Amino acid sequence: MMKRNFSPETSDRFEYLQALVTEFQDTDSEEAKEQVLANLANFAYDPKNTEYLRQLQVTDLFLDMLTEKNENFIEFGMGGLCNLSMDPDCRDLILDSDGISLITNCLSNQREETVLSAITTLMNLVTPASRSQLTEPGILQCMLRFSLAESPRLHNLAAVFLQDCCTEDQVRQAEQQMQGQQMAVGIPLPKD
Amino acid sequence: MAANVNSEPGCWKVPEVFKHHEQHKACFSRPKYRDGRRAKAVKVFTINLESRYVMIQGVPAIGVMEELIQLCALYGTVEEYRPLDEYPAEEFTEVYLVKFQKLTSARAAKRNMDEKSFYGGVLHVCYVPEYESVEDTKLKLQDRRSYVLKVARSRAFPHQAEFWLQIIQSSIVTKQARLQASAIVPDSLYCLYPPQEYFHQDYRGNEPTEDQMGTLHDAVPPDVKQQKVQNFSSFSKDPNSEKKLASNPDSSVKFVPRTAHLEKNKRRKMEEATKQPVPDSGEPSLIGPKLPEPHKLDMNDQSLNTTVNLIRGTMKQVTSVPDLKPAEKKVKPRRRI
Repeated sequence: MMKRNFSPETSDRFEYLQALVTEFQDTDSEEAKEQVLANLANFAYDPKNTEYLRQLQVTDLFLDMLTEKNENFIEFGMGGLCNLSMDPDCRDLILDSDGISLITNCLSNQREETVLSAITTLMNLVTPASRSQLTEPGILQCMLRFSLAESPRLHNLAAVFLQDCCTEDQVRQAEQQMQGQQMAVGIPLPKD
Repeated sequence: MAANVNSEPGCWKVPEVFKHHEQHKACFSRPKYRDGRRAKAVKVFTINLESRYVMIQGVPAIGVMEELIQLCALYGTVEEYRPLDEYPAEEFTEVYLVKFQKLTSARAAKRNMDEKSFYGGVLHVCYVPEYESVEDTKLKLQDRRSYVLKVARSRAFPHQAEFWLQIIQSSIVTKQARLQASAIVPDSLYCLYPPQEYFHQDYRGNEPTEDQMGTLHDAVPPDVKQQKVQNFSSFSKDPNSEKKLASNPDSSVKFVPRTAHLEKNKRRKMEEATKQPVPDSGEPSLIGPKLPEPHKLDMNDQSLNTTVNLIRGTMKQVTSVPDLKPAEKKVKPRRRI
């Protein structure tokens, strides 16, 4: 474990984040939970807070939110993971907690922000070990569909995923599989 | 999601009104210890929401475009800008699209210009990442990733980070040393390097801080504060209310380890899983939303048979017509003059 710098600033920061996590766990108010969750997700954007958030198991907290019914919880949790997942240690934690399948489910979410965060997070999770799981046909076909979407952010991100995370062969195979799934309707010719 | 309008490439297409352009209502129900200096909505920022492209609404329609762009230029180089005449705007106001050279400049501009008065109007500044190209998005993500990795590395090797920090911040760095430093720390990262944050109660200084809600979107490059704003008679900033961070009175905060909650959640999920039957996973499940399916034809529909019967009937008629005799050629009498 890394030695933490015990300057007044860092201990205040850690305590503050700790207070947020505690409030999230203790409060019954849905509104307060949303506020705290958004705060934590925003703190996760600054990589200086990453170590503290990791110690406070906030990565797991965000992953837990993905299976909640409250759409705000899912969106904020997914945003938090998007922010944290660029850090290698947090990325490994997410991978170890079977994060890929939870995040992949978010690709079907109705909210665009949630889907965008999910795509970015999946890109951040690519490692030599996880690449095969992240480029399985189901996900690639989903990205191909997204790359045809009207929303510019969505089709841009999907295009970046297809360019950066998989080979041209994989993309071609996924395209062929998608075409093969379409039914051809024809009328039989008359027989003499 | 916005309605579909345009699929033209490039950043100068007809604008759509997206949800992230809208100003959300500020939240006033936060307890004091986590209430920030400025009223803010409950919103999470990710790299997907930020962009070098910003949209500025509420600009008074009195021919102050040049002044607006000069103001933007205080925060960094402006690559391109144009009025967005097609975008819905309030009466007597205009909307502008501005493209900064760097994301940090856009961030600084948003931080300093949003909700500020300008020649009698109030500006609303928001990011507009939908104007990015695929390449813009890719570079944005790459820069962000490099920055995060750099911070992670400096956390692992703090002495090295301090060494490079001295090189970067030193005003007497030689050109060679700078080149050597930039070989490892690209120029773009200098701009992404966040300002120092202070979480201490006795904070004093000109550098901005991360607020209690975690938003670092108040980040401003240190240079900006030293620049003077001239000839903007109507441009005014709200006085800096130096609200100090409320210290947590109870320093021994109760912290229930998340492990206990995780165990409880896992048990709950296992119970739910045993109650519900596992679906048959014969075929791979579809990931993500489906495209609209093509209209499925009902093969039992009689109208299909009508067309087929017509075609068959016509073909039968054509094949049953007897061979025609060759047309007799009529001989025309020669005209005699």
